[in-house]
Amino acid sequence: MFIEIIEIIISGLLNGSVYALMAIGLALVYGVTKAFNFAYGSFYTMGGYFAWILLVSLGVKGGYYVVFLTAIPFLFVVGYFLEKILISPLRKRDDWQMKAMMLTLGLSLFLDIGYIAAFGPNLKSLPDIVEGTLALGPFVFMKQDIVIFILSITGLLCFAWLLNNTRVGMAVQAVAQNPVGAQIVGIPKERVFAATFAISTILVGVGGILLSQKNFVNPQASTGIMIKAWVITAFGGMGSIKGSLYAALIIGMLEAFVGYYLGMIHIEIAVLTLLLITLAFRPQGLMGRE
Amino acid sequence: MNAKSMATILAVTYGFIGILPLFLGGSSIMMRILTMILIWSVVASCWDLIMGYAGIFSFGQVAFYVIGAYSSAILSVSLNVPPIIAIFMAGGITAIIGVIIGLPCLKLAGPYIALVTFAFQLALEPFLKGPMGKAIGSGGSRGIISVPPINLFGMSLSSSELIPFFYFTLVLTLICSAVIVLILKSHWGTAFLALKDSEDFAASLGVSAFKYKLLVFGITSFITGLFGALYVHYVGILSTRMLSMEVFTVLLIMIVVGGIGQYPGVVLGAVFTVTVNELLRPMGIYRLLIMGGLVVVVVLLLPDGVTGLIKKFTDYRQAKKESRVSIEKHESSV
Repeated sequence: MFIEIIEIIISGLLNGSVYALMAIGLALVYGVTKAFNFAYGSFYTMGGYFAWILLVSLGVKGGYYVVFLTAIPFLFVVGYFLEKILISPLRKRDDWQMKAMMLTLGLSLFLDIGYIAAFGPNLKSLPDIVEGTLALGPFVFMKQDIVIFILSITGLLCFAWLLNNTRVGMAVQAVAQNPVGAQIVGIPKERVFAATFAISTILVGVGGILLSQKNFVNPQASTGIMIKAWVITAFGGMGSIKGSLYAALIIGMLEAFVGYYLGMIHIEIAVLTLLLITLAFRPQGLMGRE
Repeated sequence: MNAKSMATILAVTYGFIGILPLFLGGSSIMMRILTMILIWSVVASCWDLIMGYAGIFSFGQVAFYVIGAYSSAILSVSLNVPPIIAIFMAGGITAIIGVIIGLPCLKLAGPYIALVTFAFQLALEPFLKGPMGKAIGSGGSRGIISVPPINLFGMSLSSSELIPFFYFTLVLTLICSAVIVLILKSHWGTAFLALKDSEDFAASLGVSAFKYKLLVFGITSFITGLFGALYVHYVGILSTRMLSMEVFTVLLIMIVVGGIGQYPGVVLGAVFTVTVNELLRPMGIYRLLIMGGLVVVVVLLLPDGVTGLIKKFTDYRQAKKESRVSIEKHESSV
């Protein structure tokens, strides 16, 4: 009983850490650009397919080092140009938020069906990042899980450092606080928007590479991931990065416990119930500002 | 757009669709497309009313459609309610659920509503497939296979009797469209316009955003549920596949092509989308690829849809005419 609970907590912590990586990307985009990206989950799958092409299809040497070294610039370029070409022309209109939601919804269907058309409907499995297990007393950990956890926490710390200590990060924060003011002091607002979008694409794509090792690359997983990242962002408070972090861990735990005791099928219902109750009492989310 | 021209466009469109069966001689494929155009045009109109006019970012339209379908199917299969009564009861059930969802939702800011309603749709599928759904008679992942057709004056409106069903749908479509036009042109419509322009100012004049939004949410849920129920008695089978992203995107294209908040543009969008969707059917998986790409392209190039295009064209001709008149005046004065 006790060991079971510890194991559930560990699996919740693991999922929560990757969710945090993905949800923070979404919180960042919403906080800075006020745009809703419905295609967010499709970039998760894109990361998975990218790793699959390199590791399984082409069989490159160097394994996951090569994957991460090439995936990050690739995802940056994809995100940057998608924002420039698709989202930024909409910004001139009053109702651009609604238009952006619709456009990204169409984009997500396009990408997801595109994956099926290109790679077939079957799930693809990725090799483990490290093999083997580690026994600590009564607990047996998979080394893969530990590495995934460490990598996603490292990703989070890198992101926090980038946001607080570099000129780009400070420009992003300035635009989030006051877009007009930022423009007056000479921050290129349009470029910051595109860069934010690109950074969020990297975060979710890397999340895809990490989690797809455990859950397979699935062209139909996108919607579920998008809604999960989104629920976490809303639960933690839209645009609040710290809130998303806590929310990701709570949702990860909730999923692990509900999945274990009530069955996987109830996860989505439980998550939605938690969100509805939270929003009924705190419409701005856990840590969001009014 | 004033009520008269709205009614004219609707009357011409539905009138044209209404006389088409006389020339088609009961070709079953064409009749199916026409019936689906009617059903989807009403569902999409309701969505336009919620999103384009009332300004509620609700993404739960497909969910309400499916709730209507399931309620009516369960009522008529498990409880032996006559289908003609069941469809209206299904509308009522959907309206109640709509209000229950609306109560917490409508107090939230725009994007949160989109999230909660969309998550509601995603949670509906495991609910219907799981033990809770089976307990109320949803049939689990197998769905409900033998939904009885609607019986009207001793005539069975099943999928083999396409023409009577088509006209029955047309009558309901006309009634519901009239209700939508009435809402848009009543003081409710004005209230929405005021709320959209400035929520604070409208509130200071005593316009209650919450009350009007909840009312319109309830009414559109009723209509959507009614048409979902109509659809299920027409096709006779029902499963959770109705909740797929595909259905959602098709509905989205209608409103994108027709123009948001440009009623009755969305009706033209429904005509276009259902037809294109049927024409692309032989292309298999590429149909959805094209549909997804279509949303992106239309939103980028035609932000106001077909209606925006027509408006631009008439404005341009108007401007040309005016400039010609002013030139003539100028010349005559010289």
